[in-house]
Amino acid sequence: MAVQLSSKMQEFTQEVFPAIIGTSRKDGSVEMVPVWFEFKDGSFWINGGTNRGWFKHLQRDPRITLLLIDPKTMWRWAQVQGRMVDWAEDPGGEHINHLSHRYMGRDYQNPRTGRIKIQIEPLRVTGAIDGWGR
Amino acid sequence: MAGAGKKASGLSPAVQRLAALPILIVVATRRADGSVQLNPVWFELKDGYIWLNSNTRRTWPKNLQRDREATMLLVDPKTPERYAQIRGRLVSLIPDPRHEFIDRLADRYTGKAFRELEPDEHRVTLKIQPLSVTGDLL
Repeated sequence: MAVQLSSKMQEFTQEVFPAIIGTSRKDGSVEMVPVWFEFKDGSFWINGGTNRGWFKHLQRDPRITLLLIDPKTMWRWAQVQGRMVDWAEDPGGEHINHLSHRYMGRDYQNPRTGRIKIQIEPLRVTGAIDGWGR
Repeated sequence: MAGAGKKASGLSPAVQRLAALPILIVVATRRADGSVQLNPVWFELKDGYIWLNSNTRRTWPKNLQRDREATMLLVDPKTPERYAQIRGRLVSLIPDPRHEFIDRLADRYTGKAFRELEPDEHRVTLKIQPLSVTGDLL
């Protein structure tokens, strides 16, 4: 069942740094990739293309772990275990452009076609922001 | 091996430069239920191996002991979109009863010896051999 983020965590998610996502390959190994994200309406939203390895992994196993870590002060981190609950086409790249404004302060510079947005429901939060967990 | 990138017979100068900084390495392991666990931890790259240290009660070293493999990520703190992803194999688990290695890591990161161990806290050093590197920081 989805969890609600604490107010400290909600503030942390408003900071601008990429999330590191971890997904499982078919052979059981883990793939990690830094991606742009936003936390909105109780879910994490990321953007990608259907050809991405990590998206293929999520279609097989929707479990995904996000590590939010402040690259300047790496003690500030949180691990979010979650699940992909939905994905949809991002017509015109509206969502990737929105993320580009959050991260770069400008329009998205790369092609906006073939993009998808992915909704991730948080299931469990651990790490240094909410106090320690395992 | 899926996702095999450049073979890490030796890590590139770019990766070595990044590894020399006092940044944390993100260690990915799998929990018993198959879900992914991510932990940022202290490390040292030395003699071609990645050296980690942990309290034996933590989950990630237990996962690592079970699977004998981990994926690790180094992110460039100046440009967080640039990274190196290293797949590695646990080659040995070395008890650190006099906490010499964790003191060495603490010195690298904080300039001081490690804090006092808690009662029943046992430290262990994990020696990991890099097998392959992917990412845009080869």
